[in-house]
Amino acid sequence: MLGRITREAEKLTINGSGIQGIQSLSASYSSAAQPTTALGIGGAIDYYPQGPQQANLEVGTILTQLLPPNAGYSRDLMQNFTGTFPFSGVVDYGAKQFYFTEGYLETYSVKCGIGQIPETSTNSVIYGNFGTGAKFDSWEQTSSTSPSLNITSYGSMEINLDTFSTNRVSSFDVNIATPRVPLYALGIDQPTGVIAGTPIEVNVNFELEVDDYEIKSMRLSPDETVFKNTVITLKKNDSHDILLRYDFDNMLLTSESFNGGVDSNVKMNFNLRSFILREK
Amino acid sequence: MAQIFYDKAAVQVRDLASNEGEVLMASDCSINFSNSISPLYSVGRKGPLGQLPSGPRIGDISFNFLTTITGSYFAQQGNIINGLASGIKNSTDSYASGVRITCAGVSGIGFLNSYSFNVTSNSVSSSSASFTLFGSGTFLPVSGRLAANATTQAGNVGTEGARASIVTGIGHGRYTQMPPIMNTVIYDDSVTPSSQERQTGTIYSADYSISFNHNPLYKIGQEFPTCTYYTTASESINVTEDIFDSGLTYTGIERSYVIDVKGLDPGLASSGSTGTFSGMKVKVVNAKQISSSVSVGLDDIIRSQKTLTAAY
Repeated sequence: MLGRITREAEKLTINGSGIQGIQSLSASYSSAAQPTTALGIGGAIDYYPQGPQQANLEVGTILTQLLPPNAGYSRDLMQNFTGTFPFSGVVDYGAKQFYFTEGYLETYSVKCGIGQIPETSTNSVIYGNFGTGAKFDSWEQTSSTSPSLNITSYGSMEINLDTFSTNRVSSFDVNIATPRVPLYALGIDQPTGVIAGTPIEVNVNFELEVDDYEIKSMRLSPDETVFKNTVITLKKNDSHDILLRYDFDNMLLTSESFNGGVDSNVKMNFNLRSFILREK
Repeated sequence: MAQIFYDKAAVQVRDLASNEGEVLMASDCSINFSNSISPLYSVGRKGPLGQLPSGPRIGDISFNFLTTITGSYFAQQGNIINGLASGIKNSTDSYASGVRITCAGVSGIGFLNSYSFNVTSNSVSSSSASFTLFGSGTFLPVSGRLAANATTQAGNVGTEGARASIVTGIGHGRYTQMPPIMNTVIYDDSVTPSSQERQTGTIYSADYSISFNHNPLYKIGQEFPTCTYYTTASESINVTEDIFDSGLTYTGIERSYVIDVKGLDPGLASSGSTGTFSGMKVKVVNAKQISSSVSVGLDDIIRSQKTLTAAY
């Protein structure tokens, strides 16, 4: 009988901490080999490596387990990697494992809608090693930090935008893009350094069920440009304990869309965008 | 048959004297053949007397190719173009015999005009070469007609059938390091000498090029030269780093470098152990730095370039 590996045998550990609430996990790399095509080529096609060797890691989680409160750090482990620091980790599946080193977060997203538990999704690029084999003998798990069960929900969150007293938010998502610039020198296959690029682009999208919301003029820019401060606070379910806060100033209204239909209420979507410069 | 697909249009270079030759892994090739016909006018006549020759027919051939490291040519490790360039610039005899270059049945005796290659991190190295075809005696600069190469790359020219496997013999930035003395080193002179901070540049890429001057000797009564002499050569390396050297000296500092362009070691590819695979050697003698520059664009670090030149 052929065996199979189900979710209870899968585990992701990053910098020694087990990531909880994972809904989806994918890791991949692709070969940099290119065929040696040339004029007059005959016989066999051979290959040579072209371009840097990188891997990708995508993780989707629900916000159920969070780190203990710690000043200066987010209680969502992955959000802490939007900065300059890399991470390493291991993926267990059944009795097997694969490792990765020098992972850098490139995108971080959080979203929630009516009837949902907030979800985060991250996309990271692996500049170090990825896979199994002798290269990973020296890999060690660092001291772990155990997350605790803190379930957030749509019913216990606050969104601070001045238009929401009469218009109901039905969903939102926050997307943070953190660019990375790897520097490759001659003679080695890993970057000599990875620069945390700037600025960081933040996009926040809202979906509203409309009562008296007024769509703006397409020609609002530049005369009537709308800037908003956005604060989204996630609290512990049925509690006032603040777990996570997403706070962005001076976000530019960049798009609005109107959606009507025979079997749904009128909905309005709008996007707010801002750019954050990294601190020197 | 006039329609020839690229897989039957190999670029072959062969030295007739030594019979050393190689089929290069060329990505493109162009051959030009031209005469110097120009109109001749005279006083008292509106139209031209005719279109008449004002110079010899001349050709050129140029191609880009992967920097293959397939063996020793003219006692120089690398490919035949690299061996040819090394042989010409270090020659003590000015007489040049040229090499036969053939592509899809069209061939000519060419004199190396320029040769260059680049090495960039994580990328395969590519080279380019161009030859001038002067012709000789009664031989045309360009001859032959388009015809497909019936044979494949291995073993059809000279002795290249015994060369190393091509897949492990291609220069690559992953396996190549420039000589350590090529890295720019600067010191912070704003502090006392005892606490000076030494900074060493990291080399991200290097572009090498050399150009040759040849002098064909024409005599009355013959269209093509009786012989061709090599005269001078100028060589340069453009190095990209992350340190700007503002201490460029007036007279320049003379240094010699040996560039060793390496590809994947065949031993590493087959058994996982490093063997004695030798890279493509380029010796640059008495080079001087002639420029420093720096540039920066969005989403990148400041990169500096320096140019080292040598003359032969």
